[in-house]
Amino acid sequence: MLKDFLVLAGQSIMHRRMRSWLTVIGVFIGITAVVALISIGLGLERTITDQVASVFGVDTFIIMNEDAFGPQAHGPGGAEEYALDLATLRAVEGVKVAAAVRERTAFLRGPPRSDGTPLQGFFPVSGLSPELITEFESFTGELEVQKGGRLFDVGEEAVTVLGSEIANRFQASVGDTVLVAGEGSAELSLTVVGILIPVEEDEGSRGGFAAAMNQGQNQDTIYVPYETMDLLWGPAKDVLITVVRVNPGEDVDEVADRAEEILNARGSEISAVTYTDINEVIGTMTSTISAFLAGIAGISLLVGGVGVMNTMFTSVLERTKEIGVMKAVGAKNGHVLTIFLIESGLMGLVGGIVGTLLGLGLSAVASSVIGRLFGVEMAVVASPTLILSTLVCSFVIGAIAGLWPAWRAAQLPVVDALRYE
Amino acid sequence: MPLLEFKGITKDYRLGKTVVRALRGLDLEIEEGEVIAIMGPSGSGKSTLMHIVGALDTPTDGTAFLDGQDLQQLKEHQLVTLRGKKIGFVFQTFNLIQTLSAQRNVELPMIFQGIRKGERARRARELLIKVGLGDRVKHKPNELSGGERQRVAMARALANDPEIILADEPTGNLDTESGTPILEMLKKLSVNDGKTVIIVTHDPDAAAIADRIVRLRDGCVVAVNSCGVEGESGVPTTGRDVEGSINEPSTLGTTTEGGDSHA
Ligand SMILES: Nc1ncnc2c1ncn2[C@@H]1O[C@H](COP(=O)(O)OP(=O)(O)O)[C@@H](O)[C@H]1O
Ligand SMILES: [Mg+2]
Repeated sequence: MLKDFLVLAGQSIMHRRMRSWLTVIGVFIGITAVVALISIGLGLERTITDQVASVFGVDTFIIMNEDAFGPQAHGPGGAEEYALDLATLRAVEGVKVAAAVRERTAFLRGPPRSDGTPLQGFFPVSGLSPELITEFESFTGELEVQKGGRLFDVGEEAVTVLGSEIANRFQASVGDTVLVAGEGSAELSLTVVGILIPVEEDEGSRGGFAAAMNQGQNQDTIYVPYETMDLLWGPAKDVLITVVRVNPGEDVDEVADRAEEILNARGSEISAVTYTDINEVIGTMTSTISAFLAGIAGISLLVGGVGVMNTMFTSVLERTKEIGVMKAVGAKNGHVLTIFLIESGLMGLVGGIVGTLLGLGLSAVASSVIGRLFGVEMAVVASPTLILSTLVCSFVIGAIAGLWPAWRAAQLPVVDALRYE
Repeated sequence: MPLLEFKGITKDYRLGKTVVRALRGLDLEIEEGEVIAIMGPSGSGKSTLMHIVGALDTPTDGTAFLDGQDLQQLKEHQLVTLRGKKIGFVFQTFNLIQTLSAQRNVELPMIFQGIRKGERARRARELLIKVGLGDRVKHKPNELSGGERQRVAMARALANDPEIILADEPTGNLDTESGTPILEMLKKLSVNDGKTVIIVTHDPDAAAIADRIVRLRDGCVVAVNSCGVEGESGVPTTGRDVEGSINEPSTLGTTTEGGDSHA
């Protein structure tokens, strides 16, 4: 019987082709907007999480100042320093390697320049665990030094790698020494083992820590082994970031929690951030944005729904007599209601199908435009859940918009409906 | 027991503050298998009576028994069943659904009874052949002549094989040529199939096929003539045929097209 009602409803829609199409257009504009915005949002999220995943892998977490990440964060990537006992961290059960970065501004004296006098003054000094370079290339990217130089190895102490700019200013080359003044009377002469290659501005999208290091502001930094910082300034109170890899088979979230607990019990104020944590934040961020945009687009959906309602009211009015006839030949109120609901639901559904297709197309186009604009490979997401729920939703919107008119149609007394001209 | 037994039926229509009394204490009995012609001036309550007989409307007062069932006691869904199964309605204005083919129009009452598609289509075609439209099954109403449309409507009325056929001025919009076959068909339904047929009409031809003629005026039965001859000479079959006749109240009587029904 439902099939027959479907045919009856379909026939009535086809009979009023022009009006039906206009109604459907009203619906699909809204659906298109919603689907496109949500799909773009999903694509964006996928793109970001993919990038994060490619950097992190599933066995790595990072340690940041507890204020720099999470719900109470002061701002994204707030480079706040924290105290860290790297040895304790390395001893935490499940930790395979840990590498950290700490930073200071220190008094430096370069080698004698061509005029015989050395350049001296205050410059940034960055201490890197050599493991950062050997073990965490996905984080650091490939650090490149100029010909004839090298990066430092695990266990080395009195060595340094210079940013290209500071090397220029010191007029230093590989083999020269740079004097660093530490806390109190601590002082070290470091041998220059390498000089970084400056990176062209627009190559910056290569990503990773290396890119940042190679860019302008970091080219006037000198890099030293992490342990050398200890010799100069004692235990670390100025760590920017720590990267930790867990042993194979360990649950990274578990190890991260353990590390966080142990370190914080020793007076650090840190957060251990895993891939899951970051995804969560990205997820809430992008879905908040998509929900907001989709909400705005939803308004046009509402307008579409009102359009369906309007059409259905007109349809009820001009088919009053038809309704009377149907009831006179034995239609129940429920039958009339069903026929009209199917009719409005069908218009919603057709609007939904067209809107979904257009919305997906639009999001694909938008993704490629955004991708080109920012030089990234944007993921195009055609979520089956989204498609299915949109189709169900559009049918329901149509049916709900038709509910009132259909109910009015069903309630018409037979005789009155028959008399209607 | 008569198939239909109406006693003291009144029907009021409320229009704002005024009440229009369309039927005022009408008595009527109809036996199974009869052909009844209902005649009377316009506004005398013929259609109102038909709507009550056809379970499309309920009386305001009085007792109305149809096939032993008290119409006033029936729930809405029972009335729906009655309209769907027991009664076939033929209207003056055909009332076909414009978007549907002749066959689908005939199928419509069967759809609401939940009859299967194949069975439905077979019966619809059979009925259309019976009314002489075997070659018009795919036509839409606006592709058919008036007479053909009314024949489709006849086929539709017969779809669920009802016991009672109600025809409210079935030839009112037709010329004699296309009207006559309709009347013949109605007559045959009674003679051959034993169906009860009630026809509202101004048409002397229609009156001629009737077993009895019931005359209404101002919502009352004023005369019942048997043997299908129009006029005053008929033998009353009941004792109360002229009762309460011209009890003219203010709200009525102004809508008539003048005087008597045999124009
Ligand atoms: N739905 C209605 N609302 C108000 N008045 C009505 C309605 N139906 C019929 N009437 C009135 O009831 C009276 C009888 O109408 P009707 O039964 O249609 O007469 P007939 O069919 O004999 O011409 C008329 O006066 C008509 O105006
Ligand atoms: Mg009438």
